[in-house]
Amino acid sequence: MSRWLIAAGSVILTSQLMACVAHTKPEELFQLTAESSSNRAMQTRVFETKDEAELLSASAAVLQDLGFQVEESVREVGFLRAAKERSAREYGQYISRFFVLVLSMGKLLMPVDLHQKISATLVARPINSEATRQEVRIIFYRVVWKGDGQADRQYIPPGQQMMEMLRDPALYQQFFAKLSKAVFLEGFTL
Amino acid sequence: MGSAIAMLQGCVPPQPGPELLAPTEAQMKIRSVQTRTFDVKDRQVAMRAVIAALQDLGFIIERANDALGLVSAARFAEPNYYDVLGVTVTVRPQAEGRMMIRANAIYNNKPIEDPKVYQNFFATLERSLFIAKD
Repeated sequence: MSRWLIAAGSVILTSQLMACVAHTKPEELFQLTAESSSNRAMQTRVFETKDEAELLSASAAVLQDLGFQVEESVREVGFLRAAKERSAREYGQYISRFFVLVLSMGKLLMPVDLHQKISATLVARPINSEATRQEVRIIFYRVVWKGDGQADRQYIPPGQQMMEMLRDPALYQQFFAKLSKAVFLEGFTL
Repeated sequence: MGSAIAMLQGCVPPQPGPELLAPTEAQMKIRSVQTRTFDVKDRQVAMRAVIAALQDLGFIIERANDALGLVSAARFAEPNYYDVLGVTVTVRPQAEGRMMIRANAIYNNKPIEDPKVYQNFFATLERSLFIAKD
């Protein structure tokens, strides 16, 4: 019995430590980092066109093709925000959940990722004074909701959230490939 | 044991005070820190530079309003996802081709009063405006 208590105590202590340690200070968050420029290169393409409105509407169309709903648009500053909701269930999580269930002798059923909202914000803007060159920058991120867990016959209510920026280059390449096709122009990186 | 208590105290969330809606003295003091004037004629150019600077800093642009010169954005304090940093920037034209830009930043819904934060933001914005001019 006491061994169980020690184990439980150490788990609580570890989670406490984790909650306290990894805080990034706000002043660091307003500084460009080493990854800023590589992220920028991945998320940005330049198009040789004067027609910013066309670029923006083509972007909206591509996002629609990818299953997104446009949530907000401001033409004057070339801004679009879109989102789609999908299932977030992953095979691997169910396997590790099974092993935890076996190891805890049927007492702990870990919550798994159930649902996710994938969002994109897109900004198009001219980058030279004659406005013959336009830059499109898109940033993808997602919010994941966890749930469906059970600890010793007690249901763990869903609702825990997890957010992350999506930094998979393939995602961005896919979007820009479609956008290039839609506007009949080759996008290039600077 | 003592360190465990100190650690627990470090984790207690900030308590809301009665001055929640009233402008605090510290807020009045940092107004000058939050505001800077730039030599830009066109407000849209300034707004686009603000948006580009925020994107460079990894922010998610949530809302933009051209008529009011308003941009709001947020980001999580990566690598963790439970601390949220929000910022609202207003761009207002002043006399003779000068643009007043004001940024309000909040960290987990508490106003940031550290001048360094705003210095860092305006440094990035200045760079972004400089690129836009060329």
